[in-house]
Amino acid sequence: MKPVIPQRPLLWLASLAALAGVYTLVSSRAARPDVLPSAQDIAETFTALLGSGQPQPVNGQHAHAGHPGHSSDQVETLIQQGVSLQASLAISTARVLFGLLVGLPLGTLIGLLLAWNRRTDDYLHPIYVLLRSVPPLALITYIMLWLGHSEAHRLIPIVYAVATTAVIPTYHGVRDVAAKYVVAARSLGARGRLLLTKVLLPAASPAVLGGLRYSLAIAWMTAVGAEMLMAENGMGNLLVGGGMWASRLQTRSDPAVILVGIMALAAVGWAMDASARILTARLTRWVR
Amino acid sequence: MPAIRVRRAVVALVALAAVYGIAAEIGRERLPNRVWLGAHYVENVQLLPTLRSLAEEGAFLIESEILPSSIAVSVRRVLIGLVLGSLVGIFLGLATGWAVRLEYLADPWVTLFRFTPALALLPLYVIWFGYGETPKILLIASGVAVVTLLGAHQGVRSVPRAYLDAAASLGAGPSLAFRKIVLPFALPHIIASVRIAVGLAWVTIVVAELIDARMPSLGYLLALSGAYPRVPTMLIGIATVGLLVLGFDTLTLLLHARVTRWMRRTA
Amino acid sequence: MANDLLAPLEAKDVGYTYSGATSTDALEGLSLKVADGEFVAVLGPVGCGKTTLLRIFAGFLRPTKGSVHCAGAPIDGPGWQKGYVLQEETIFPWMTVRENIEFGLLAKGLLPPARRAVCDELLGLIGLSAFEEAYPKELSAGMSKMVEVARVLANDPSILLLDEPFGALDSQTRARMQDALARLWEQRRKTVLFVTHDAEEALYLADRIVVLTQRPGRIKAQFAVQIPRPRSFETRFSPGFLALKRQVLEAAAA
Repeated sequence: MKPVIPQRPLLWLASLAALAGVYTLVSSRAARPDVLPSAQDIAETFTALLGSGQPQPVNGQHAHAGHPGHSSDQVETLIQQGVSLQASLAISTARVLFGLLVGLPLGTLIGLLLAWNRRTDDYLHPIYVLLRSVPPLALITYIMLWLGHSEAHRLIPIVYAVATTAVIPTYHGVRDVAAKYVVAARSLGARGRLLLTKVLLPAASPAVLGGLRYSLAIAWMTAVGAEMLMAENGMGNLLVGGGMWASRLQTRSDPAVILVGIMALAAVGWAMDASARILTARLTRWVR
Repeated sequence: MPAIRVRRAVVALVALAAVYGIAAEIGRERLPNRVWLGAHYVENVQLLPTLRSLAEEGAFLIESEILPSSIAVSVRRVLIGLVLGSLVGIFLGLATGWAVRLEYLADPWVTLFRFTPALALLPLYVIWFGYGETPKILLIASGVAVVTLLGAHQGVRSVPRAYLDAAASLGAGPSLAFRKIVLPFALPHIIASVRIAVGLAWVTIVVAELIDARMPSLGYLLALSGAYPRVPTMLIGIATVGLLVLGFDTLTLLLHARVTRWMRRTA
Repeated sequence: MANDLLAPLEAKDVGYTYSGATSTDALEGLSLKVADGEFVAVLGPVGCGKTTLLRIFAGFLRPTKGSVHCAGAPIDGPGWQKGYVLQEETIFPWMTVRENIEFGLLAKGLLPPARRAVCDELLGLIGLSAFEEAYPKELSAGMSKMVEVARVLANDPSILLLDEPFGALDSQTRARMQDALARLWEQRRKTVLFVTHDAEEALYLADRIVVLTQRPGRIKAQFAVQIPRPRSFETRFSPGFLALKRQVLEAAAA
């Protein structure tokens, strides 16, 4: 398991610096700013995108990418629409958090139900397998027919993805790990709520929490995907250039925007993952 | 699998189909059949197509070669992406797992890729490689590589120290130890990560094909059927993707079972 | 503080078959009666169905043939009256030693002061008072096992079902645990069914030894152990003990 803080910070930093160095070298050598933007372009795009979040008229600096005062079609479209990096990030994060908040308990519940006894497992497991085989984003066009272009229609795939992912660790946690503790507890007279809250859940919690990080990754994938397809805000939208669905990828895309977006996503993703790891460690301090 | 479990599974699935069929019949009368498509209303849309209309549509799609060719195209992309990504990922994962210094060097790269949702790379790849097959396949490969890299890395790390010490005491050099001890141990982890990668690959290809929809592909089928809308096609498309994912997943599971045969204590 | 008039365990012609890909007969035609306050050891080779028998008595499995009764009533589920200590380690790692021991009392609805009193007494008995607030990860395997035994005793059940509790311990720790268990049992007479694969352990602890065959398990032989109590280190080398041990081992090997 990779530690939260890298153990050899020097080597890590050195590698990071090397990454940055190699990139700067390659991008300046290649001199193709529309494909490999220079580090300066990236920095400028970054600041440009930290806008006020209000739609702004663009004052016609149609300078091409790679020139001082870096601007581009995509950046301009985004600024025009009032899209800013921090707002997009916030909105995407909100969607991810919603998906987790609703999807995790749902998935855990279903996992519990499946693992509870052999009977329900035999009947319900095949249905679960069928449902989780469908990629949530494949459903999004169908959901749109029911709910139109609404926030719900974007959030449902995220919830669906998180829930289906959370079932398996819960299932295994209950069946493989918690089973023997439940037997011992029942022989001590525990039943019902006591059995559930004081025995089953704590016993299964390491496995369930272990799945948390994976659910996190899935939630982000689905959120960004949903935004790329069907949203006017959020990181997915920023990456694809701020147009409506039909014209996605038709705006002249600026790689600097995409790189900035990717780095921002990676940073937030890493932060959330690290938090999940710390949370898990805290809650399972009793594990040998 | 014991007979009773198969029987119960069949019962459950048949019940599901029956429930759907009933819902579709009720829906025919009760559900609204006007759908807002962003610019206009479309009349006469059956949100829950009856089983019969689904069957008819399915027959049509198969006979007209639309479905088979879409399947072929999407499957081909997924397979190439899977193979490519797995090779790169597994190789790198094994390398960074085995040589600790390599790991520290590679870590920032891996972290960057790992926390980037694969889909975010699509616009970048389109810029770099234009439209067409390459960006899609590369996108799948990227996601797959990250997942399998982590799996292979975990696999190498999970070898109990005791086995390696025993091997050293028997005079095995690092190369032999790697081939005969580390690899067999890492294999189950690797295949487990391939399983995850398969799911990821399908999610990726569906979205990539939805965004850059061109004929023939499953994503295109979904996008096109959403435009009219032609609901039976959409549902059949969704079901097809689901079944393909299931198929790939089952194959990977079987592979995993085969590879871990030596791990399970019999009796 | 016995809380039942009489609490024998009785199995009548019990058979158990595990269904699955291939069905296995774990037990066949097994009849056993345990008297009130008797300490019975069940001895047998690996896989002979000892654990299955115990699980049936504990109420987790229903015999596929025959019947089991507890104090005359058919056994239809687990409960605190049949204290069961599993072979695997099941001390709850997320609770302290005290919380573990008090768990059954919590389930019964006792208030904290009452629970504490019982727990203190038991901790003193097993000599782990210093570890009251420790978490299982700080305990050795032997100590964890004793906590599991104490946990079950806290409910003061009239029946104890112990499945190779000392199997995973080294011989010195095992000998100490056997002494501790013998002490405990002498203080609070309970009906005990104790599964083991170690003949010497069976002889040291039990009033009666039941020897099972290989799978499917059936009773092969029974021995009354009339060695006087309290038994001690010296007892293990006494002629009577050794002679009986020889008989038991011969019966088991046959």
